[in-house]
Amino acid sequence: MNMIRSLSLFLLIALLGACASAPDSGPGLEVGEQPATQVRPATGTSRPVLALLEQANQAARQGELAVAEARLERALRIEPRNAVLWYYMAKLRLHQGRLEEAAGLAAKSNSLERGDNRQLQADNWRIIAHARQRAGDESGAREADQRARALANEY
Amino acid sequence: MPRRKSVAPRRKRASRPNRSRKGAARKRPRRFRWRYLFVGLLIVLVGYGAYLDFTIRTHFEGKRWALPAKVYARALEIYPGQALAPAQLERELKLLGYRDNAASRAAGNYTHLGDRLRFTTRAFQFWDGREPSRQVTVQFDNGTITRLQDQYGAELNLLRLEPPAIGGIYPHHREERVLVRLLDVPPLLQQALVAVEDRQFYDHWGLDPRAIARAMLANLKAGRTVQGGSTLTQQLVKNFFLTNERTLWRKANEAVMALLLDWHYPKTEILEAYINEIYLGQDGDRAIHGFGLAARFYFDKPLARLEANEIATLVALARGPSYYHPERHGQRLLARRNRIIDILEQDGGLDPASAQQARLAPLGVVSGKPGAISDHPAFMDLVRRQLREQYRQQDLTSEGLQIFTTLDPAIQQQAEQSLSRQITRLDQQRNLSGSLQGAVVITSASGGEILALVGDRNARFAGFNRALDASRPIGSLIKPAVYLTALAQPQTYTLATLIDDSPITLQADNGTRWSPQNYSGESHGQIPLFTALINSYNQATVRLGMALGFEPIATTLRRLGATRDIPAYPSMLLGAVNFTPYEVAGMYQTLAAGGFRSPLRVIREVLAADGEPLRRYPVKVEQTLDSQTVQVLNSALQEVPRLGTARALSAQLPPGSRVAGKTGTTDDLRDSWFAGFNASHLGVVWLGRDDNQPTGLTGASGALRVWGEIFADLPGQPLEPVPGKALEYHWIDPRNGQISEQGCPGAAYLAFIKGTAPRQKSDCAGGGERRKSSNPFNWFKGLFQ
Repeated sequence: MNMIRSLSLFLLIALLGACASAPDSGPGLEVGEQPATQVRPATGTSRPVLALLEQANQAARQGELAVAEARLERALRIEPRNAVLWYYMAKLRLHQGRLEEAAGLAAKSNSLERGDNRQLQADNWRIIAHARQRAGDESGAREADQRARALANEY
Repeated sequence: MPRRKSVAPRRKRASRPNRSRKGAARKRPRRFRWRYLFVGLLIVLVGYGAYLDFTIRTHFEGKRWALPAKVYARALEIYPGQALAPAQLERELKLLGYRDNAASRAAGNYTHLGDRLRFTTRAFQFWDGREPSRQVTVQFDNGTITRLQDQYGAELNLLRLEPPAIGGIYPHHREERVLVRLLDVPPLLQQALVAVEDRQFYDHWGLDPRAIARAMLANLKAGRTVQGGSTLTQQLVKNFFLTNERTLWRKANEAVMALLLDWHYPKTEILEAYINEIYLGQDGDRAIHGFGLAARFYFDKPLARLEANEIATLVALARGPSYYHPERHGQRLLARRNRIIDILEQDGGLDPASAQQARLAPLGVVSGKPGAISDHPAFMDLVRRQLREQYRQQDLTSEGLQIFTTLDPAIQQQAEQSLSRQITRLDQQRNLSGSLQGAVVITSASGGEILALVGDRNARFAGFNRALDASRPIGSLIKPAVYLTALAQPQTYTLATLIDDSPITLQADNGTRWSPQNYSGESHGQIPLFTALINSYNQATVRLGMALGFEPIATTLRRLGATRDIPAYPSMLLGAVNFTPYEVAGMYQTLAAGGFRSPLRVIREVLAADGEPLRRYPVKVEQTLDSQTVQVLNSALQEVPRLGTARALSAQLPPGSRVAGKTGTTDDLRDSWFAGFNASHLGVVWLGRDDNQPTGLTGASGALRVWGEIFADLPGQPLEPVPGKALEYHWIDPRNGQISEQGCPGAAYLAFIKGTAPRQKSDCAGGGERRKSSNPFNWFKGLFQ
């Protein structure tokens, strides 16, 4: 059971992780560099939330992003202060091409991350960099990207 | 050629009149009169028939297709580790119409097994998939779910119950119908209607001549009307045009329309329309139409869950709701009900044992009748408003859409009861003779979902929705925006920065002078910023606001979510600006969510009648304020209930509940506000009078009491100070803003952006002595600020 769970979770993460490079990053700035490993749910994540993540993953694999979204939201209602859930949500938005919303969710994720998950924070900053770049905020995008890189060097 | 042809007929035509003129000049008028009369009559008859046909079809189609949108509350999710008491779960199951029945393991039944609860859920189609029916056992320990198992003993991580239905969206605002589809109608009811009212229903053409003859005979014998010969179809037609007129002409019309109806539509549709349309009683000026509504009205449950005796009672009422009035003619109704049970037994619809059980059952009509089908009119009002932005009214009232909302029925009930209870108490206490009103908005702290909304002290009353429409000055609720604007400049202002609370007089361009005063009338000289905020000092706030400027404060308000124009004059700094409780909730939501603004949401998903997903309203967050700065402000708002104007809360909340909030009072005590939150929920309460006269209540003595009562029972996470990389926390002396220690009198635990905290240490003991001397009055002052 646990094997299946971690496998499918990995798939979700892999799928959502792949999303990060989906929107065009543009020639001016190299954002969206893939982290070496994927962000996993924190160790304290509760069983119902893991179950919902599993289901969200299934939906995402079948391309049913609106279903995945609904399941992630259910997970968020159970653990509203779980930074990783907000991060998955941001990735989903990124994949849906809703960059501005993705950036809001990524910032929310970062505001809740009190631990040392640098990778999560770096990824969130990458998402924010994407969104800012798309919005034409070049300096903002550069700043976000620098923060992502600085964090990436720490993990 | 053309000429000849054209000429010949002319000649012919010309010859006719000649002939007739030559012939019977006297006979002609008579023959013509008859012919015209006959043709005329035929035209009138056909025309009238067509008119009747059009009328009855329009009525029937109109009713048949009008399937109102069905609105659901949130579906309760159950999981191990969840704080949920057995009583709460049982309440939810009852709300869903589950029965306490140890004998049945069918869907919709539950039973207690010691400290466990066993029940079988009903299958339900959600946006993200179908939940199958499951038989589960839930184990509790001390108000928490410890274990969730299915019937095979397998552990479940999560279970989602069906969402409770909370109402429908109807064409006319006050019209209430509980429309049912024939598929959802208990077969026993269908059988009973046909057996009792119209045995030949499935065979006749809309009229039953034999039944009419039988009825006439019976009536002649008795010398009065004792039996009706109307078919269900005729009764339905009659119900479309309810009048008390009982003329032959009317009956003839009804008969023709019944034939037409039967000709156009299948029996099943006619029966369905009958079940939804028939008049079954009166509640004041509200007519009870249809078995769906009648089931709610008489038995307070959905039609599908009626017992045999209850079905028979409703069928009895269909014959004459006032003749068989349950209260005035209970015995008469009981006798007829039992006759109907006999008929069902004879027809095999009920086995002898069930029939006997049904006969022995009391009438069981509920006395405390639910006032309305929409139990939560204020919330439904909001749902309707948000839907109207995206859907045509016609689609909402006729397409059978399924609307999934964010309402939490348990919290809603808690909010309704607390508001009603506290208002009744305060109203009496202040001799307000019933004029005190109020509103409550409760949201989820992080996602901005509306969990409860109350717009009247009588929550069932669908009148003025104060939660959405009472736009009132917010008084000191505005102060956090002023202080947040200051704290956004951490190099200039921290919570410990000393500011001036001495008297101030401002002069407007037109020469008018304004001298705001503190509520107590006292001035406090130089005090730390947080002391001014948590005690809601007006003089210090106006001085601070004037130093900051109106525009930056207006910007902060907009970032919090205010959409109105913020007036740029000094009294704005003390809240002389109008907002509704709903708008205030939107703004405080941004604080509760740490600087992230989410539009308040009431609808999660919309599905078509057949379960096809149509539209989602996803969670959206936008960072509009620096989260560290908001964290700093919130650390001070957390001290309001401990040390500031909301100290009365400690008597209401269980120990250990850490909440943040702010009281608000307006001039002459006209409006009483409290807005506050913990890590899970945000609540805004307003109390006041519709005529805007003084209530004698401050935020602390009025709205705070309602808020406290609601939050005392609300399961939720306490606010935790979480030091991040950018923040540090210190105990601060309330007099001088210097570093103090835990346990020192009045010391507040406050957040600072790293590097901005004060360095000087205060003398705890000395300060303690001085504070102690004035302490006895502190709690007293808190009540009135």
